[in-house]
Amino acid sequence: MKKLTTAAVGIVAVLALTSCSTGGSGDGASTELNVYAWADEIPQSVFDAFTEETGIKVNVDNFDSNETMISKLAAGNSGYDIVEPSQYAVQQLVGQDLIETLDKSKIEGIENLAPKFADPSYDPGLEHSVPWVWGTTGLLYNSACTGGEEITSWESLFDPKWKGKVNMLDNMLAAYIAGLQVNGYDADSTDEDEINAATESLIEQKPILSGYNSTNYGDLVASGDVCISEAWGGTSTAKIIEQNPDVHYVLPEEGGSLWVDGLSIAKGAPHQDAAYEFINFLLRPEIAAMATNDGGLASANAAAQEHVTDQGVLSNSAVYATDEEVANADFIVDPGEAMKYYQDGWTRVKAS
Amino acid sequence: MTSTTRAIQLGRKERPKRGSLLLLVPGIASVVLLGILPLFIVARNSFAVADNYGGITDGLTFDNYAKLLDPVYSKTLFYSLGLGVLNTVVCLVVGYITSYYIVSRPPNRQGFLLLLVIIPFWTDFLVRTFAWITILGSGGPIAGVLGVFGVAGFSLIPSNVAVVLGLLYSFLPTAIFPIYASMRSIDPSLKEAATDLGCGWWGVHRRVILPLTGPGILGAALLTFIPTMGVFVIPVLLGGGKDPLVGNLIVTLYTEFRNQPMGAAASMVLLLLMLISMVLVGLGLKRSSAKKGA
Repeated sequence: MKKLTTAAVGIVAVLALTSCSTGGSGDGASTELNVYAWADEIPQSVFDAFTEETGIKVNVDNFDSNETMISKLAAGNSGYDIVEPSQYAVQQLVGQDLIETLDKSKIEGIENLAPKFADPSYDPGLEHSVPWVWGTTGLLYNSACTGGEEITSWESLFDPKWKGKVNMLDNMLAAYIAGLQVNGYDADSTDEDEINAATESLIEQKPILSGYNSTNYGDLVASGDVCISEAWGGTSTAKIIEQNPDVHYVLPEEGGSLWVDGLSIAKGAPHQDAAYEFINFLLRPEIAAMATNDGGLASANAAAQEHVTDQGVLSNSAVYATDEEVANADFIVDPGEAMKYYQDGWTRVKAS
Repeated sequence: MTSTTRAIQLGRKERPKRGSLLLLVPGIASVVLLGILPLFIVARNSFAVADNYGGITDGLTFDNYAKLLDPVYSKTLFYSLGLGVLNTVVCLVVGYITSYYIVSRPPNRQGFLLLLVIIPFWTDFLVRTFAWITILGSGGPIAGVLGVFGVAGFSLIPSNVAVVLGLLYSFLPTAIFPIYASMRSIDPSLKEAATDLGCGWWGVHRRVILPLTGPGILGAALLTFIPTMGVFVIPVLLGGGKDPLVGNLIVTLYTEFRNQPMGAAASMVLLLLMLISMVLVGLGLKRSSAKKGA
């Protein structure tokens, strides 16, 4: 009986300990690095190359939304070193004091970044993040389904002509890009009246919609169940376009928007030295090019472009939108206090 | 039902030994750590105040609950309740018929039929939902067959019909098993006796089988209704996401709206609804067993 008792106590002790075993060594060179990144945005080949060169073992966890990532960091003791927030998430993480201010003296190769990401509005001077990959929010349409008609404007998403054949991204900030820009406002508006006008447009739009879907909207457009959809550029969109010549991705003439996912160091990261080493590694042009070659995404690294094996992708607007195309695109930044106008509006849209 | 109560009574008579109590420690610890503690945190958070960045500040307020009374939210709540009831009724009817069919097969075939009911569970829930998109969408088998007869452009994706079908498919097995379990224990001679005494097909079911299957049906109703309220993938993938359920509302509040306290409040309301439905079922069980005793 005593043996059993000891075993029971042992099991409880193990249960209690595993919850806080993610921490690591403090001093000396790290042999491990814990990365929390978007699924598929940092290709496995990059991690393999890093481990091969430095001997540092990389543990990767994936998230599917900034919000999931933020709440995990906010819960504390995450044990992550590197996180990969999108632009507005950087602002939120800084606001909640969940990421470190980067020590620029430890970072090499930041001059390789494209000029449009060198000093972005969401993180002036790149104090907290180093851009890694970027993309756009625009329109995906099936020309067989639209009867050959070219789609160039957000207005198509609000046109009763396409009733039942239009899809919107099931994401508040993404939906308001279209809602605000179709009314002639900036996609990062913080003005109550402008946001309310967008809300009204989105409510009016709802009967026209086939639905809100940000999961498999690409398949819906490819199959013709939906003719036009709001869409995020990137790997999956590029793949669908490649497979089906009728599917096109365009940035709307109203501007569309840009997103960028970068690398930050989590507050109190257990392996800070390895984290800086990792960021420097990813800033190398030939490594940054792997985001495009192996991941199908646009790299924020201008010097990486010559290392891209398929040069055609550099002019494919679903991946690398040109400077002219993104000239009017807005960065979606954190709405801050105006968040409540968006939330109230989006709730009304969804409940209407 | 009676066998379990007897087991409990027997257990009470035996004095638990101290050693065996210690053996329960891991079980109790996991229930407390994984069940009660998180629930307590959610309950506490539902009275907290959200800050601008999605965090929680120490505060005590009933605002989160008050805001849920807004027609915008209560509409979602009633829609979910309605869909939950509809799905439960549909699952019970189909589950009852299926169970009756399985029970009426020879005993050596019943195991195989039940296996067929379980097999889909070996595949991931999301994958099975995506399969329904293919089945009901344009380019699927139904659209193909209709196309032969000259009906073009058939697609049930997205539609409310697809949502109801998807829900039925997902929860039917959980309805079949409890009904099957209580139906199997009915002595077949009761059915014969009822027929001999002049009951028709309908009479046999209404006066004999249905009342005796009662506890199983109530259990099945509970197992179907409660999870239906929390579903959030099916309405988005099959229904187009235009009519959110409470499950969708909670996800949105927690993530996009960065409003954990209100998400927690909505979760507590959902929990309360579930508790109420459990109590109602409990009362129903008591009544049906009291009837049997009389």
